Amino acid sequence: MNGAQEPSLQNKIQFLQAILWVLFVVFALRLFYLQVIQGPYYRLLSENNYTRPTVLRAPRGMLLDRNGAVLCRNQVSFSLVLDTAKGGSLDQTLLSMQRILGLVMTKEEVQAALRRSPVPSLAVLARDIPTAWMQKVEANQDELKMLRIEMELRREYPFGPVASHALGYVGLLSPEEAQKLRVSDNDPFIEVGKSGVERTANALLMGKNGLRMAQVNSLGREVEDPTLKLPGVGIRREPIPGQTVHLTLDIQLQNILEQAFGEEHGSAVFMNPYTGDILAWVSLPNFDPNLFSGAIPASKWRELSEDPSHPLLDRPIQGVYPPGSTFKPFVALVGLEDGVLTPGTTFFCPGYWEFGGRVFHCWAKDGHGTVDLLKGLEDSCNVYFYHAGDRIGIQRMDKWAKFFGLGTKTGVDLPSEISGIFPSPAWKAKRHLGPWYPGDNLPVAIGQGYLTVTPLQLLSIYATLATGGERFQPKLLEGPPKLESSVAISPQTEAVLKQALELVVESGTGTACRIPGVAVCAKTGTAQVVAASAGRNSMSLPKDQRDHAWFAGFAPAGNPSVAFVVMVEHGGHGGDLAAKIAKAGLEYILLGKKPAQPDEGTKAAPEGQAPNQETPPNPDAPLKARLNPQEPPRLITARYGGGANPRGQP
Amino acid sequence: MKKTLRETLSYGDFVTAALYLALLIFGALMVRSATFGTRFAYLGNRQMFWAVLAFGAFSLAFLIPYEIWVEYSYLLYGLCVAVLLSMPVLGHYVGGHKSWLYIGPIGFEPSEFAKVAAALAGAAFIKELVGRAMGWREIGILSAIIGLPMLLTLLQPDFGTATTFIPLVAVALYLSFLPLTQIVKWCALGILTLMLLLALGWFTFLKPYQKDRIITFIHPTANTRGAGYQVNQARIAVGSGELLGKGLYSGTQNRLNFLPAPHTDFIFGVVAEETGFLGSLALLGLYLSLLLRFLSTASAARDSEGRFIVLCAFAVILYHVLINIGMVIGLVPTAGIPLPFLSYGGSFLVSMSLFVGLAANVRSRRYAQ
Repeated sequence: MNGAQEPSLQNKIQFLQAILWVLFVVFALRLFYLQVIQGPYYRLLSENNYTRPTVLRAPRGMLLDRNGAVLCRNQVSFSLVLDTAKGGSLDQTLLSMQRILGLVMTKEEVQAALRRSPVPSLAVLARDIPTAWMQKVEANQDELKMLRIEMELRREYPFGPVASHALGYVGLLSPEEAQKLRVSDNDPFIEVGKSGVERTANALLMGKNGLRMAQVNSLGREVEDPTLKLPGVGIRREPIPGQTVHLTLDIQLQNILEQAFGEEHGSAVFMNPYTGDILAWVSLPNFDPNLFSGAIPASKWRELSEDPSHPLLDRPIQGVYPPGSTFKPFVALVGLEDGVLTPGTTFFCPGYWEFGGRVFHCWAKDGHGTVDLLKGLEDSCNVYFYHAGDRIGIQRMDKWAKFFGLGTKTGVDLPSEISGIFPSPAWKAKRHLGPWYPGDNLPVAIGQGYLTVTPLQLLSIYATLATGGERFQPKLLEGPPKLESSVAISPQTEAVLKQALELVVESGTGTACRIPGVAVCAKTGTAQVVAASAGRNSMSLPKDQRDHAWFAGFAPAGNPSVAFVVMVEHGGHGGDLAAKIAKAGLEYILLGKKPAQPDEGTKAAPEGQAPNQETPPNPDAPLKARLNPQEPPRLITARYGGGANPRGQP
Repeated sequence: MKKTLRETLSYGDFVTAALYLALLIFGALMVRSATFGTRFAYLGNRQMFWAVLAFGAFSLAFLIPYEIWVEYSYLLYGLCVAVLLSMPVLGHYVGGHKSWLYIGPIGFEPSEFAKVAAALAGAAFIKELVGRAMGWREIGILSAIIGLPMLLTLLQPDFGTATTFIPLVAVALYLSFLPLTQIVKWCALGILTLMLLLALGWFTFLKPYQKDRIITFIHPTANTRGAGYQVNQARIAVGSGELLGKGLYSGTQNRLNFLPAPHTDFIFGVVAEETGFLGSLALLGLYLSLLLRFLSTASAARDSEGRFIVLCAFAVILYHVLINIGMVIGLVPTAGIPLPFLSYGGSFLVSMSLFVGLAANVRSRRYAQ
């Protein structure tokens, strides 16, 4: 048999050869398919295996007041995050969470948090958590593997609720906002401004997150292996921090004013009339924006939004009221400028005026007797202005209104501003309220009827008076002034009005604001809450039906460096508390004077925080330094160009 | 003896030896890469030692005329069976079965050597037939010779290694009196029966993890975090190698531990990832060349026992390569079958080397009297 192979054996071996070749071809084709045809796909999968993008969070910009005091900064805090991509039972996790951390959350709440998150698999369950939780979550990873702790930079407002409406608050980015702002970082901790400057300056404040591609092994641990140089690993895009934003606010003035309000509600705005720089923005009651930068509990949110005193309402631009007597200087101005009135024009006030079959009352039941323009303004005589309004007519007022910003938004850099109404025949027709009757002029002339303003609009009128016709856009962000409109008011008219407004404070209804050595021009006013008949003292009514008190003006008369408006809700007549509030503010601005206990209420910062390296270590420190009476306040600098304020500082 | 050695060397099968050496060196290299930078790095050096030892075993199998091997085969076979019988007492548990025997610090797997011994014992039995064609009775006896150590291995219970005896039985069948057409018919029938058994087993005796493996084979991404993880990661390793590979020691699936058991069962994943399609194809080519060489030796062999030995080497190595690479590239279900000359392991390397050495031996002595 040696060598002599029977044919069947040869066949068998040839058959095996054939099988071998077939198998080789099958395997080679399979390899070709996996490695060459699908190779790029699998390379991507392998890169995804070993790289992990890590978000490098960009800090949001700080907010500083005009003197450099920190109004808002970032604070390192820790948050509890649910990661559904980790796999595991949500129900089980919630039970364990309740047992181990004592945190009770329903499945619905968690699902809602997931829907709100810009990263569909991540939900922020709790922010600013106690340090004890961090250890507990780490120690119980077997049960809490869906949970992890993440460090974030949380917004912190050292002054607490002070200036809350100007600063605003932030909240976590929602999926809709992510789309709008074109943010696609895989980061659930991006904060966006939801109100105030935080919102209007959001683009400046918000940084851009960076990214780092780390190399990880199969256990998800970061490994640095110098022997393995991999594409994609080590890429690092630095975060771009948000810009520090300087505000025109003076937090100390803000403090003084908010304290001056005591328990009262209302608003106050102080502004440099030549630049539009807002020095103080009071809206009371206020709220603590710190609440929002930790996840605000639903109950707290409800409490704030359902509070009948509307703490979230930004009163200076969202509160609409009749301006009352504070409107009279504007009427006088129109009369004087259009030649309808002269300073010597007199009317007789018997306490009322019968016009077109209706009786229009003066607030003084027994009348003011014969009244000229100065006295009409000083005593705020309604009858005088009924006559003036009748003579001037709505058309003339409408023509001037636009130079003073009536009926239009001021354009202040805060969100959700609304405008009061300046009624005109056209406006009335559009509202299907019938034709304009001559009788309609009368209530408008005393700041009532269809006429309404926001406190900021009223401030705009007085600021424009102060500058002699130039109206600047109010602003909270530092920057060049923006002239909104300009009209030449004759020096004579300006002098008459200033004289009248000075008299109001010297000897009229606003004596509560008299400051020795400073000529303050101002006008009191009353915004009726319920239609009270003339002569009735609204202070005898229940608090919530009392009239709102206005006090608006500017100072010093010769060279105005500040214009202001104060409105105390249900404050009765404007001559009292509102004037006192304004006086406190003016004394600080013009004389550097501080009220008795300036420290009260400024230390609203939550305790126990390590100071941030990038911010002044203690928010109180610069404040106390600035309380030094030797140091003159710096804000009387009119920024308006060369000749506009030629007389220099008072 | 001197004369036989000269004879062997003058017609020496140095092609087989060269192919073997190439595989041996490639394997030692790949084990180094597969363990580089891990806590198993020392296995890279140890495999070098095993390679040297295996080369010694190859040389012995190559140089000692196979007639002598066949002559003493019953002794070797008896020794192996005796050791396997004593395994329940002497064996050490490794990976869930008692398959390791320790003599001092050196451990080895007797079942690996039993394979070689069974092949030699089978050859000895065929020699006794002196050319008579094998009938059913002879096939039965051959199967019993091979089946005994297989059964003992199965009892350890090392299912994977036990299946590697099957190729030997197949060889016995293949060399029987049956014509090729009959064999093909029987094979088809066998596969059909196997599938039926599988279907039956699915509902009766298959354990959940075994079912998992089959599901994973059919649909690997069904459960990427469970049973499918290994297969999925192995496939990523293979595919991401692309045409040229990521370079030795630079496979990310390997180095960052995504690839399971990279130095043993999934070492082909390392080859494919680091040397790419071309490297993998080259390795397949080496195996193909070696196996084709075996087939050519089988037809050139001067006697049926030599032919049986060569075909046993062919069948065993083909079986391992087929199942192992097939598993890594997703053509067969996951099974714990190592890859000859590449997977880490001393006993396995030595037994595979013995097979190759014997095959080369048969070819070298094809003209000897």
